[in-house]
Amino acid sequence: MQSDLILYIVVAAALAFDFTNGFHDTANVVATAISTRALPPRVAVTFAAILNFVGAFISLAVAATVAKGIVNADFITPTIVFAGLIGAIMWNLATWWFGLPSSSSHALIGGVVGAAFAAQGADAIEGNGLLGKVVIPALIAPVLAFAVAGISILVVYRIVGRLRPGPVSSGFKLGQLLSGGLLALAHGTNDAQKTMGVITLALIAHGDIAKDNFHVPNWVVVASATAIALGTYTGGWRIIKTMGSRIIKMDSAQGFAAQGAGATVILASSHFGYPLSTTHVINGGIMGAGAAKRLSAVRWGVAGNIAVAWVLTLPAAALGGAAIWGFARIFGTGSLGPLVVSVLLIGVILAIFARRIQRTSLASAAGGTR
Amino acid sequence: MMLLAADPVVDWGKLGQVVAYSAVVGIGVALCFSLAIVGAIRFSEARRGPGGTGAALGYALLATLGLAATLAAAVGAIIVMTNKS
Repeated sequence: MQSDLILYIVVAAALAFDFTNGFHDTANVVATAISTRALPPRVAVTFAAILNFVGAFISLAVAATVAKGIVNADFITPTIVFAGLIGAIMWNLATWWFGLPSSSSHALIGGVVGAAFAAQGADAIEGNGLLGKVVIPALIAPVLAFAVAGISILVVYRIVGRLRPGPVSSGFKLGQLLSGGLLALAHGTNDAQKTMGVITLALIAHGDIAKDNFHVPNWVVVASATAIALGTYTGGWRIIKTMGSRIIKMDSAQGFAAQGAGATVILASSHFGYPLSTTHVINGGIMGAGAAKRLSAVRWGVAGNIAVAWVLTLPAAALGGAAIWGFARIFGTGSLGPLVVSVLLIGVILAIFARRIQRTSLASAAGGTR
Repeated sequence: MMLLAADPVVDWGKLGQVVAYSAVVGIGVALCFSLAIVGAIRFSEARRGPGGTGAALGYALLATLGLAATLAAAVGAIIVMTNKS
């Protein structure tokens, strides 16, 4: 019974993480399209949510590789997975609050690494895997997307530079529907599978699926696809604002170049088995498309804040995962600790949102009396 | 020698492929779609102008080829996604 309860809690935490992954990363897909007015905001997030949902069904290859080669699978327990997920959710919520686009994948890996380290010590962590699969790709992704988007926009301006801007802009807005659609599909394919992988690992640990017969049950695919699509539909507007207008003020050609470069880099990396963060790639693409036009077009202060968030993601989520594991452990090794953590976290989130709604109502009332 | 024989932390071969394909396809798509836009706009202008049938046909061909190459890249991307499993 207790074993069943911890499984339910881990599944719920994984789906909650998937939801935050969706709304945190909506900006990756829609920010450029909204900024250039290629699509109205609500239509853009609906479009992204539908394609994220569809994308989750396209492939299941990534689901089998979650945290593979980064943490030693023999040391992983449901409580470690739970603590890692909560650490990642907390970091996703914190960066969303400040409007900073950070990698949800890095948050998840950081959370699990931190919880595993706290629970089992350094033996649970595979340092080379962490360096080769997380740290170095994090350095390469934005630089590569920056270069590809930068050269692309120079090529575009060279070709269409002498034409009337109106029709050119309309043409690239149409192109953004295509590049944005591909990005949303790629995002759904990559990111929903992380949750599928986590839930499947929990089912294996619980004994519902044999270790040598890794497969993702249909209900896990549907639940993960739905959670990420709902999160995407909710829309992380703070991050959309940062990516859409605070890094650069972009035109539709720059939006197309950034999205096209982003989609190409993500799909090439995924195809050759060298996974890169969607967030790092798209932000690198946006900065590249802006800097190639004019270096001063990029607000480097905002870009610097984003880079700091990227650097902090892994250690901060790891600290969060370790702290949650430590707190849950106070209540023993069973499901009581995760249950208490879940109730507390839900309470804190509800309190923050209630306070925010109250402030918004007060501000509206004050505006109305003027 | 032991260090050289060990499993490398960075797979430079895969990384090189990612960089090469991203650059070729990413810049190639931007080039093709830009040519499609140039073709479409110039076709529209040439069709309205006097005696521009030949030029209009040329621009229509440019627009069609540019768009076809862009759509082919999009279809290729979907095939890449579906072939991962």
